[in-house]
Amino acid sequence: MATTCTVSISSDIAPGFGGINETMTLTQAGTLTDIDSTTGFAIRKLAATGAVDLVTMASELVEPKDSVASKIYIRNIGYRGVTDKSVGVTIGVNAEPIGKLYGGDWMMMPLTCIDADDVTVNPDTNDTVVIEYVMFYEEA
Amino acid sequence: MATTTAAVTLTSDLLSDNMSVSATTTCMKAGTTADGLDQMEYGYVDVATGDEFDLIATTPTASKASKLYLKNHSTDETYYIAVTQNAQAIGRLYGGDWMFIPADFHDAAGDIAITANGGTNKICYALFHEGTALLQT
Repeated sequence: MATTCTVSISSDIAPGFGGINETMTLTQAGTLTDIDSTTGFAIRKLAATGAVDLVTMASELVEPKDSVASKIYIRNIGYRGVTDKSVGVTIGVNAEPIGKLYGGDWMMMPLTCIDADDVTVNPDTNDTVVIEYVMFYEEA
Repeated sequence: MATTTAAVTLTSDLLSDNMSVSATTTCMKAGTTADGLDQMEYGYVDVATGDEFDLIATTPTASKASKLYLKNHSTDETYYIAVTQNAQAIGRLYGGDWMFIPADFHDAAGDIAITANGGTNKICYALFHEGTALLQT
């Protein structure tokens, strides 16, 4: 079993920047053993401003292990095939704003999975927007 | 217009059918559809165990559309860095792990900080942004 993730970044901002192409295999903390648990791929439709939980750590069916090698992928996929780069959804951890995903933007970040460190989403507007996500983690 | 694109491919066989997700985004300035991020920092540092360090020395313009790439190039899988933003723990990057996030430097305290564990970690980072408050000498 393996879960892999590849990032490719290209940019013409700085002359000579050769880009970034890196692949990681998601493993359990401190080992080469593949990570073995996931929330599965899911979407969350939002239609009002205000922070809500995307992932509530204490409510997961299988308790995630704290402070290991968990990761989450999140993407703002807009609504019905239309993405808007001018408005976004703020992603947070334990009420701390991590950053804003504008239409089409994606992120991949590690998580502590501590109960207080829920992942939150907060749209800029009341327009409908859909967030897709999948979390990979270790069982407690 | 400067153009920065970030693509991701995520595959997993943990489910009964293989999952494969691919996405590409063009990194734009906040609230615009026609103007791309036009400044960047790119670095590679060795971080010794112990103290916490701010990874970004200057503060990008607050609450804009900055994107941060960060990879732990340590070859020992037991080495890791703990990543925090504004003192909030985000998670750990073990040797070989990377992250890519829209970093919200909402104020001077909103820096991304890292703490190395296990040994000296080798860290590569790239910050794409639309302006910084440069440090005056």
